[in-house]
Amino acid sequence: MLKPKNDLLQGTLALLVLKTLAREAMHGYGITLHIQMVSKDFLRVEEGSLYPALHRMEQEGWVSAEWGISENNRRARYYRLTAKGRKQLAEEEKNWERLTRAVAQVLQFA
Amino acid sequence: MSWITRLRGMLRRERLDQDLDEELRSHLEMRTADNLVAGMSPEEARFDAQKRFGNTTLLKEDTRKTDIVGWLDEAARDFRYALRMLHRSPGFTAVAVLTLALGIGANTAIFSVIDSVLVRPLPFHEPDHLVMVWESNSQHLNPHNTVSPPNFLDWQTRNTVFSSMAYIFDERDNLTGNGEPEEVVVQDVSTNFFSLLGVDPLIGPGLTPENGQPGHDHVVILSYGFWKERFAGDPAIVGKSILLNGHPQTVVGVAPQNFQWFIKDGSFTGAKPQMWSPFVFPQAFHDHKQIGRFLTVVARLHPGATHSQAQTQMNAIASRLEQEYPDFDGHWGVNVVPLRQQISGDLRPALLVLFGAVAFVLLIACANVSSLLLARAASREREMAIRTAIGATRWRIARQLLMESLLLALIGGGIGVALAVWGTNALLAASPANLLDLHSVPVDLRVLTFAAAATLLAGLLFGFLPSYISAHSRISETLKEGGRGSSSANRRAFARNAFVVAQLGLALVLLTGSGLLIRSFIRLIDVDPGFDTGHLLTFKIVLPRSKYGTDQLRMAFFQQLLARISTVPGVRSASMESFPPLAGLGAATGVHLLSQPQQSLEDLPVANVGVVGPDYFGTMNIPLRAGRLFDAQELAQEKHVTIVSQAFVDKYLHGVNPLGQKAAIYMKSLVENELQPSEIIGVVGDVHQIGLDIAPEPTVYWPHPELVMSAMTVLVRTSNDPFAMVSAARAELQKMDPQLPMAAVATMDQLLADSLSRSRFTMLLLGIFSALALVLAAVGIYGLVAYSVTQRTQELGIRIALGAQRGDVLRLVLSQGTRLTLLGVAVGVLAALAFSRLLSTLLFGVSATDPLTFAGVAALLAVVALAACFIPARRATRVDPIVALRYE
Repeated sequence: MLKPKNDLLQGTLALLVLKTLAREAMHGYGITLHIQMVSKDFLRVEEGSLYPALHRMEQEGWVSAEWGISENNRRARYYRLTAKGRKQLAEEEKNWERLTRAVAQVLQFA
Repeated sequence: MSWITRLRGMLRRERLDQDLDEELRSHLEMRTADNLVAGMSPEEARFDAQKRFGNTTLLKEDTRKTDIVGWLDEAARDFRYALRMLHRSPGFTAVAVLTLALGIGANTAIFSVIDSVLVRPLPFHEPDHLVMVWESNSQHLNPHNTVSPPNFLDWQTRNTVFSSMAYIFDERDNLTGNGEPEEVVVQDVSTNFFSLLGVDPLIGPGLTPENGQPGHDHVVILSYGFWKERFAGDPAIVGKSILLNGHPQTVVGVAPQNFQWFIKDGSFTGAKPQMWSPFVFPQAFHDHKQIGRFLTVVARLHPGATHSQAQTQMNAIASRLEQEYPDFDGHWGVNVVPLRQQISGDLRPALLVLFGAVAFVLLIACANVSSLLLARAASREREMAIRTAIGATRWRIARQLLMESLLLALIGGGIGVALAVWGTNALLAASPANLLDLHSVPVDLRVLTFAAAATLLAGLLFGFLPSYISAHSRISETLKEGGRGSSSANRRAFARNAFVVAQLGLALVLLTGSGLLIRSFIRLIDVDPGFDTGHLLTFKIVLPRSKYGTDQLRMAFFQQLLARISTVPGVRSASMESFPPLAGLGAATGVHLLSQPQQSLEDLPVANVGVVGPDYFGTMNIPLRAGRLFDAQELAQEKHVTIVSQAFVDKYLHGVNPLGQKAAIYMKSLVENELQPSEIIGVVGDVHQIGLDIAPEPTVYWPHPELVMSAMTVLVRTSNDPFAMVSAARAELQKMDPQLPMAAVATMDQLLADSLSRSRFTMLLLGIFSALALVLAAVGIYGLVAYSVTQRTQELGIRIALGAQRGDVLRLVLSQGTRLTLLGVAVGVLAALAFSRLLSTLLFGVSATDPLTFAGVAALLAVVALAACFIPARRATRVDPIVALRYE
């Protein structure tokens, strides 16, 4: 039901979000900032994709969410990686490696 | 993701929505704050945050979809929204719902009848394997002739396609004892009749092969209805005895409630049976000379045998029999007819035509609602454009509009089913007794499924085009042009015009159909039946042979009865006939005119026989054409005289003086060994024996003493209401024999009306449906023209301001309606030419392409359509230029 957006390769958004949350619990805005910063402004997460993805991950039980107070005293919803999410992250990292290796091989071969 | 989570999500929905709102707000605020820090102005900061977010509503919707059983929830929202929209325009909703209810209701009603008559399995074991087997004579052209017992026996032994064969013939017997004497219809059957059909009695052992043994055949099975009515459903009825024609018969069973066996073509009584009794062939029935044709035969095909195989084999058997018994079986063939076809044969064409008609009505209704939706869509164009601009997808908008259509269809369908329930009952009430073999048409799952399917289909049908056009309109255009002159507006206008043309065309097809039926009905009732049907009471008396065993007793009884009834005040005259007109089949026989060369039995001229009482022709008002009527002597004893009908003379004695000719009439050969010829003493006018639509057949009349029949129909010509004479006539009958019932009491006018019932019924229904179609089509074109007048108010205002006269404006507006009307009529005439041929079996005296009818209904439709255009056109002439120009 989640429509793929063309801002990020399908599936990679979940990977990036899970990886981001593996470090610490974070709110949605924080996630966009983190990804943008770490990728040196190369990857920009669209809010229009982020929130549906976050809610889906919550439904899947990969992340849990609760209200907290942000660094500058705002109420914000914090997302935290669950055990299941950690497993999923490992899985997706493996998939990603396989994918990139495969793509690289194809590029070399040609 | 487990669906439990989803379910939980659904329950948490309220809170979730709030959470989501708050979460997004906090995100926006954080971004705005950061933007401010980065040095943007407050306005820029907020705008940038918003922009990054894009469409919050859409985002929320997308996010929510992941939470719950997404589209179900959205569908519910669409539904609520649709409900609100319909609620907001009650006029539109009422018209659309009513239109649909009429269309769906009519379809459901006709479907339920068709389902009962043509589709629903017959209440027998493997009914598809059951066939009727008739004899058919290449000369008499009756494809469903009853069967002679010796032929039945030969068929039974020689065929390999049937696993079993059974025979039936019906008669009226007198039931006495246990209360009032009553005439009952009894079907005499072979002992395997019930087992062949696969029907077990409700109670009792039923018929067994032993009942075929002489001495064991005095048993009866009662019909469920008769058991309830006469014996109050007595559960201990089995084993009890009843008196039929004075003979005791043991009840061995009661048939199931839904069991009925009535095949009109083979029935002598023309009525459904109240009981069944086994009938065993006496030895004489094995002789191929003596026995007439009177059996109805039903057979069960062997598993694997087909109808055409059966027909082929029976043809071969029949041609062998023709060679073996040329006198008896010459020109006789066999006709195998599937039972279903036999039962529904009469009604099938009429029902299919009616089904086609209601389908047309539904199509017209759909076109109307679709057209209304298109008009409404135009005024909602801005709403749709704005929704598209803020991110609704085409599918989203189309779905919303389709939901509105389906909701309309659903409400219309619900009311339609209610209308159908009421309508089928009205239909059954209006249909004459023996036309539809139904007491009630159940509105059950099958009928409801049909209604649901019709509803859904209608909803999609009328909803599709408006939704499609709205979903594909170009936003920018719409917003710029305010909804007028845009491409979607053009598409809509074209679609609405096309709908109106289609509606008018469909309506014309229906009108042509009913016009043709009305014309043929008028032709039909214009036919002179050949006698005076007014003030004529008829009833039937059957003398039991046990009590009235001799010719003398029977003649004396009827003479005295007629004499007594004639003296009753209010009776002008009374007579009797063996097979009176319009009351069922006549009895036909071969006639040998002695002036002509002797021919084989099968090549003889055929005539109906009427055995009549004193003053029959006077009582009936049948004119004497030549010669004289029977005198008192001839009416008292056998003098070998006959009177023939004009058709007899025209067909067999053309150009010859019929008077004094001698004719051997073979019907008497059954009771006399030496056939005495009768002298023709008179010629009388023709009478329609079976119905007004069937040409009078050659007929010969005998006075009662020539062939003393025990079953006669008494005819009483009265000065006033014939029914007022019934009790007086019954009193006279009771004085003579209190055990005798008066059967089949009716007036001749009633019998005439019954014989016309099928034509009248079909005409009436098709008339109603085509009137409905006419009204709907008129509403359709009215709506279109009225809408375009509203749209053109400004233009019309300018024209009037510039000096256009009333007439100019009228012409301008009417020209649109006229063009559409003419186009619709043209399309309709072409379609009607193609369709009206389907009606030809239902027409009498009118060709299916009758130019007068075509011209008449085309003119009617054109006038009604133009009248419908005239109302808005007149309104257009009254447009106030000032108001019109200030309009925008």
